[in-house]
Amino acid sequence: MSSDYEFSDDDGDYYVDDEDMIDGTQDESGQSDDDMDMDAYGDDFKVVPKGKRKSYEVDYDSLSQSAVEKLINDDVEHICGIFGVDASIASLLLRYMSWNKERLIEKYMDNPSAITVAAGITVPEPPSPSAPIRSGPSSATQTTPTARRPTRSSTSKFPSFGSSKSTPSKTPSISPAQPFATPRAAKSEPFVCPICFDDSPTLRTLSLDCKHAFCSGCWTAYLSSKIRDEAEHAIRCMAEGCALVTPDPFIQSVLVPEPGAPAGDPAEEAENAATWARFQELVVRHFVASNPNLKYCPYPSCTNTVSCPSAALKASLITVVPTVSCGARGVGGQMSQSQSQPAQSSLGVAGREHRFCFGCPIESDHRPVVCGVARMWLKKCRDDSETANWIKSNTKECTMCQSTIEKNGGCNHMTCKKCKHEFCWVCMGPWSEHGTAWYSCNRYDEKGGVDARDAQSKSRASLERYLHYYNRWANHEQSAKLSLDLYAKTEKKMEDMQITSALTWIEVQFMKKAVEEVDKCRMTLKWTYAMAYYLAKGNEKDLFEDNQRDLEKAVEDLSELLESPIEAENIPALRQKVTDKTVYVQKRNEIVLEDTATGFLDSRWKWNVTVDGFDDPEKSDN
Amino acid sequence: MVANSTVWHIDCKNDKTSNIRIDLIDESPFHLKGSFPGPEGTPYQGGHFEVDIVIPESYPFQPVKMKFITKVYHPNVSSASGAICLDILKDAWSPVLTLKSTLISLQSLLCSPEPNDPQDAEVAKHYTTSKNSFDDTAVYWTQIYAGGPGPKEKGQNAGSKSEARDEVAMAGLEKAHVDKFESLGFSRSKVIDVLRRLNYRGANVAKLTDDRIVEELLK
Repeated sequence: MSSDYEFSDDDGDYYVDDEDMIDGTQDESGQSDDDMDMDAYGDDFKVVPKGKRKSYEVDYDSLSQSAVEKLINDDVEHICGIFGVDASIASLLLRYMSWNKERLIEKYMDNPSAITVAAGITVPEPPSPSAPIRSGPSSATQTTPTARRPTRSSTSKFPSFGSSKSTPSKTPSISPAQPFATPRAAKSEPFVCPICFDDSPTLRTLSLDCKHAFCSGCWTAYLSSKIRDEAEHAIRCMAEGCALVTPDPFIQSVLVPEPGAPAGDPAEEAENAATWARFQELVVRHFVASNPNLKYCPYPSCTNTVSCPSAALKASLITVVPTVSCGARGVGGQMSQSQSQPAQSSLGVAGREHRFCFGCPIESDHRPVVCGVARMWLKKCRDDSETANWIKSNTKECTMCQSTIEKNGGCNHMTCKKCKHEFCWVCMGPWSEHGTAWYSCNRYDEKGGVDARDAQSKSRASLERYLHYYNRWANHEQSAKLSLDLYAKTEKKMEDMQITSALTWIEVQFMKKAVEEVDKCRMTLKWTYAMAYYLAKGNEKDLFEDNQRDLEKAVEDLSELLESPIEAENIPALRQKVTDKTVYVQKRNEIVLEDTATGFLDSRWKWNVTVDGFDDPEKSDN
Repeated sequence: MVANSTVWHIDCKNDKTSNIRIDLIDESPFHLKGSFPGPEGTPYQGGHFEVDIVIPESYPFQPVKMKFITKVYHPNVSSASGAICLDILKDAWSPVLTLKSTLISLQSLLCSPEPNDPQDAEVAKHYTTSKNSFDDTAVYWTQIYAGGPGPKEKGQNAGSKSEARDEVAMAGLEKAHVDKFESLGFSRSKVIDVLRRLNYRGANVAKLTDDRIVEELLK
């Protein structure tokens, strides 16, 4: 689903016409049933993409964890069907081959036993898992006999799974339903877990096909440690040098008690269940990471995945900005369902959509700039801004000769070492105007001071140029951060409006919509400055900056309207104005995005520096 | 988990043949010092090597942290910090491994260096380019740091400045460290001698203060 607001002509009319249209358009919201509970009012503005998309948008799909699990299951079942193996084995094979089905099938057809051994599914033949270097009690491990398990019919389907030719009766495959317990033969010497040296006769022991038996407590601790601390999805047997990987059903049987089992410590069980859930998430993450078409939502504790095949290739990133959204809002990917405070949950940063760039690690919408330029800009800001900030905050320039001066002590009566100009450090005005008020300058807004500050900004051309763009960039970023306050203020205003006028809740939503639009456009504006900084001089840049200026002006106008005080009598007028402006701002934003995106597609933009993936600026000039 | 390490602590004490010892460094049972003799037939023969052992909270499900206290000239051991590059201390760790078996593995690492997976690139380069010269240095280090018997014939007497400089490199000391104490007015050879004896490594593992070095120099 796309969350960009698109406007057909009908929708445009809605803004121009009056309230009675609202009811008429309500029907349209039925198009997006899923969103109904999320932001029903928003559907007045929102139109679900009808096949067409803007050139600054990319096609993408948001998948929940269960949807990805379904994809995984499809792959696993496919492999199961071809190889005739259990799902858990197919899953291990796929994970070993980084979910590359074609390569797996090729390799498996080539030499099934080699790949099952390499993937840690079967014990190599002859079965000689290197014995741990140890003496004493450990010998018990080796001598621990394990009861044989019933032979399964899948043996014939999957002959390579025999762990050893000499033991044909042993079941070769791992069955998911079967408990992995290896009950001890009664007559053997008592079992001592080689890890914790527990020899209690009631000990529950578990082992994989390699028959390395350990007590269930050690297995639980080991699996938890691997899953929780190391985020490992291919966990080997605990025995030294044993390459067997624990299949999912085994992990589940260790972590999740079987139904009917005696209840243990509830806290511990909850912990283990969480570990099991975490393991499943790790498998999903591995699947997503192995597939270039998929990307995990980077927002904290969100488990959604976005599929965007059009941006999977690195080469495509110079023409498109794959801004995607996983569809979730807020923290944890769960839009709070609490209807009691709908405004609170849907407004503000906490309720913001999980929007990110599919092509690079920047966790925000950096349209209209392509990833390469955006990264360059961020790097430059990190490298330069500290120095620039230091110079800006610690030095001033002599108003006569423009020498850079750092004041390291003393009074505010400065005398330039170079040109002997005397001035006031506080207001930068000539000292002669200060009379005897040496230590307190109250002349800050005097004309002389203003002129001096203007003069100061004339120098340091390149730094100034950078700062010009940087400051605007940072300003919009700052404004975006302050939007939380603005949201809160707007909410307050919306409440006031409902009290002071006859408008209903749904009718004052235009304010919120406007705030959201301002926020979104500030994001666009922010990145247009990064873009403008790197754009080579020329008509294209002028056009770009014209668009930028128009958008900026529109945004500032709307911002101002939102800040204006509310009086009962002018609410209808204000509403009209804000709604009009919102549409206008929206259109302007669209123009900037659209024009820039088509520019990338036509490779119209020329840079003043070398950008990854683009032609050299010198060469392209010819 | 403590029980486990204690068991092996006792096990090592009872086991006289392997010559592997584990001692407490301080009060904590999680911070130990292991030591073992250099394996026969290697440049480390006759040396006595000490290893700093830190037992993590989740032991034995997470590997123990080990590094050499004694300076070792070996491709898989950092000559500066004593850090060890050994698979079983990382991803090949198994909960079945014990302090004793890990120390035995360290011992066998000394027998069979893996120069293709080096911890100390300089040393590994030395090892691959000129094995004989590497062995000489390793024997020399074993002698001065691990109390080994030293090379067969003894002909090293630091005299001229150039030789002394070589000796700084040979002993694996940082020139800056030697210069620092030399600038205090001690003779170069003495500084080298003391730093070597005290196993000095800058902000080192053994946490030697400058005062301690000077004290030693004044003796």
